[in-house]
Amino acid sequence: MHRYRFILTRPFQFLPVLFGISVITFILVRLIPGDPARNILGTRATPAALANIRAQYGLDQPVWLQYFYFLKNLANGEMGKSILYKIDVLQLIGTRIEPTIALVLTSVVLSILIAVPMAAIAARNAGRAPDHAVRIVSTFGIGLPPFWLGLMLIILFSVQLGVLPVSGYGSTFGDKLSHLVLPSLTVALSLSTVLTRSLRSAMIEQLKSDVATAARARGMPESIVFWRHVVPNSLVPTINLLAVNIGWLIGGTVVVETVFALPGMGQLLVRAIFSRDYMVVQGVAMTFACATVLVNFLADIVTVAVDPRVKL
Amino acid sequence: MSGTLLSVRDLTLTVQGEGGPRTLIDNVAFDLREGEILGLVGESGSGKSLLCRSLVRLLPSLLIRMESGAIHLQGRDLATISDAEMLKVRGGEIGMIFQNPTSHLDPVMRIGDQIAEGIRYHQRLGAGPARAAAVEILAQVGFPDPKRQYDSYPHEFSGGMRQRAMIGVALSCDPKILIADEPTTALDVTIQAQILTLLMDIRDKRGLSIILITHDLGIVAQTCDRIAVMRAGRLLEQGPKRQILSNPKDPYTINLISSHPSMPEGTAAAMFVPAEAPVAGLPRVKPLLEIDDLHVRFRTGGSLFKGGAKTISAVAGVSLQVMPGETVGIVGESGSGKSTLARAILGLNEISSGHVSFDGVDLAQQRGAGLAKLRREAAMVFQDPYNALNPRLTIGQTLAEVLKVQGKCPPSAIRARVEELLDLVGLEREFATRKPRSMSGGQCQRAGIARALAVDPKLIIADECVAALDVTIQAQIIALFRQLTETMNLTLLFIAHDLAIVRNLCERVIVMYRGEIVEQGRSEEIFARPQHAYTAALIAAIPDIDPDRPLLSRPAPRCDLLPMPVLPAETMP
Repeated sequence: MHRYRFILTRPFQFLPVLFGISVITFILVRLIPGDPARNILGTRATPAALANIRAQYGLDQPVWLQYFYFLKNLANGEMGKSILYKIDVLQLIGTRIEPTIALVLTSVVLSILIAVPMAAIAARNAGRAPDHAVRIVSTFGIGLPPFWLGLMLIILFSVQLGVLPVSGYGSTFGDKLSHLVLPSLTVALSLSTVLTRSLRSAMIEQLKSDVATAARARGMPESIVFWRHVVPNSLVPTINLLAVNIGWLIGGTVVVETVFALPGMGQLLVRAIFSRDYMVVQGVAMTFACATVLVNFLADIVTVAVDPRVKL
Repeated sequence: MSGTLLSVRDLTLTVQGEGGPRTLIDNVAFDLREGEILGLVGESGSGKSLLCRSLVRLLPSLLIRMESGAIHLQGRDLATISDAEMLKVRGGEIGMIFQNPTSHLDPVMRIGDQIAEGIRYHQRLGAGPARAAAVEILAQVGFPDPKRQYDSYPHEFSGGMRQRAMIGVALSCDPKILIADEPTTALDVTIQAQILTLLMDIRDKRGLSIILITHDLGIVAQTCDRIAVMRAGRLLEQGPKRQILSNPKDPYTINLISSHPSMPEGTAAAMFVPAEAPVAGLPRVKPLLEIDDLHVRFRTGGSLFKGGAKTISAVAGVSLQVMPGETVGIVGESGSGKSTLARAILGLNEISSGHVSFDGVDLAQQRGAGLAKLRREAAMVFQDPYNALNPRLTIGQTLAEVLKVQGKCPPSAIRARVEELLDLVGLEREFATRKPRSMSGGQCQRAGIARALAVDPKLIIADECVAALDVTIQAQIIALFRQLTETMNLTLLFIAHDLAIVRNLCERVIVMYRGEIVEQGRSEEIFARPQHAYTAALIAAIPDIDPDRPLLSRPAPRCDLLPMPVLPAETMP
């Protein structure tokens, strides 16, 4: 099983990556114009009160020292205290992370469920009417902006038909799921188009491949040729595409969470940026970065599992 | 040999093109008897593969249609049966193996499962019995440890073993006919002999009939009972092997037989008297190329964080001298290091240790000067003529580019020089305005040679430059090389895996095996009295066109099972 040995060694390679990300987020956050202390106290605050707040959050220290404390806290598993919410950043993220994870997961599952059949229909009828139909639908999916698509879905399903909640997030499992249907559909409709296109071209190529010819030559019916030989060989390039898109999706939940008023990380990030809540912005950015790195790591594991030729 | 198994009558295929239908297979008729091996011979594009694929309705394009014809297999006409019935014929009655097992085996499926797949589908067996049957077949096609190797993936095997697996897949449903489409073209000559022996062995044990598609008359002479010769979609001639080979009627067949490299015994090598006796250390003649204890190693595996890097010795201690005007052949199987040696000579691979000096300049010590000299005075001809020429440039532009860069020719004279080069390689002058894609393989290779000649080289290295060409074209290119070396005092280093060609062209032969020279000497002597067991095995494995000289009766060394020599990383100097 030495092909899987990278699972043990690869995490060490993440350390320099995460270090680099921490430097960049730390600097970028401080490049945003504005002052957290003035944001909290308002425009009429006295200089003494401002200085007091700055001292309280360590903002009066030199930047390199602030970064040093940030790293020191990170090493202890702390991300500092939110200026706005007055609680620990890690604790804050803990309360907000569930809707985001749920949204990403349901979106990804939904887009795979949409993409695989669509790509299969298109590839097996390449150049004919079903293929064109799939392409037109895909083009729409790419063309429609999520914020608009989300609103249209709300109007249709929640306002007109009244079958699904308009916005927010429930408390029970079933309730939560029903609140996630529309947001994840919004995401999946655009994500699945990218996957469909990639899968379709890989499948068309594999249908013409020598592997498929050889399978037909030993009398395999077209359905077995397709599902047992064409599909597994088409997956590998799409797995990596999916990983890249999930990475993009993690940062991109902001829009959808705002439209559907989901109390997730995206919403938290937007508020933190507006109130110059440096600690929260850093914390959320680091969490997103870790998640992206983790997703790519998982994609590598899946690739190795699907394609026996790959060695990492 | 008993009755007729397969009978093809008046088979005509057309393709729907821009200017109406074009005939691809023209009125072909042939019979295949039970237990017979039929050799289908012809050059690329003659329609032999297409003909066989049409038998099981596996046409490469929807535009190709069967216009007329009947394919009788045991009382049924395969041309008229339904698609569902055809599924049972494929695999169940007619099995196929292909030229390139690497691309035809599913890379993400275990080898055993690919064999069991057909068994489970056609014979409706459960997973357990199908697995047992597949293990049995793996053993039959020569897998030493079938139980364990069932679970291996295709990439874990060598080309020869992959072809064995492919044969296993084709045999899985116990077909009556096996169509083998150039099954050994991509393999080394010793492996080729093993695969051909295996095919004949299977024929004898199972009593099935084989249609063997090949361009190599030697293979046909060694394995087949009857021969059918195809050209441009027509069956020119067919009949018993001996009759066709000894008394060919069609002019094309006559040409094909006379082009076979192993045919004229000792003519070329004996007729060709070298200007200088190629004995090393002869006074006053300085060698053009001197290689002294050359090593080329590659590191494989390993990474930044984990160790375990291995070093593969591709060339291990080669010493060699080539005199001006000599024609030297380097032979060996794939992986023997012959191409690496060629690339190292031209400075395209880094040299790990040892010396290469070209015309007195040492490449290791004066790399800059040596390379500059090499680029001006040595040239290479590549295996694949299409990929080695820039598709966007006309042949004239390609040649002119070399002339301009090298500055050996005043700009005003370039045109004349291009025409002179085309004359030299036997291309019409109008080819200067043509692009590679509108030329045939042979014409492209001539253009490639013209480009090599453009630098007016002292040394030409030709790396497998005829391997991708048809036999008749091969013979032409070899004749061209012979003429060029005679008239231009050229030194030629000719790398090939085809020993017959080397014997015909080269006065001296170097046999490489696993990065080392195991034998060298004058061609006639090496071929008549090989000293090293490996050379003897290589020579014995060449399929002779004379059917009375059988393919090696003893098994060749199983080189495909042995690994490359791998040194631990610490031994890197």
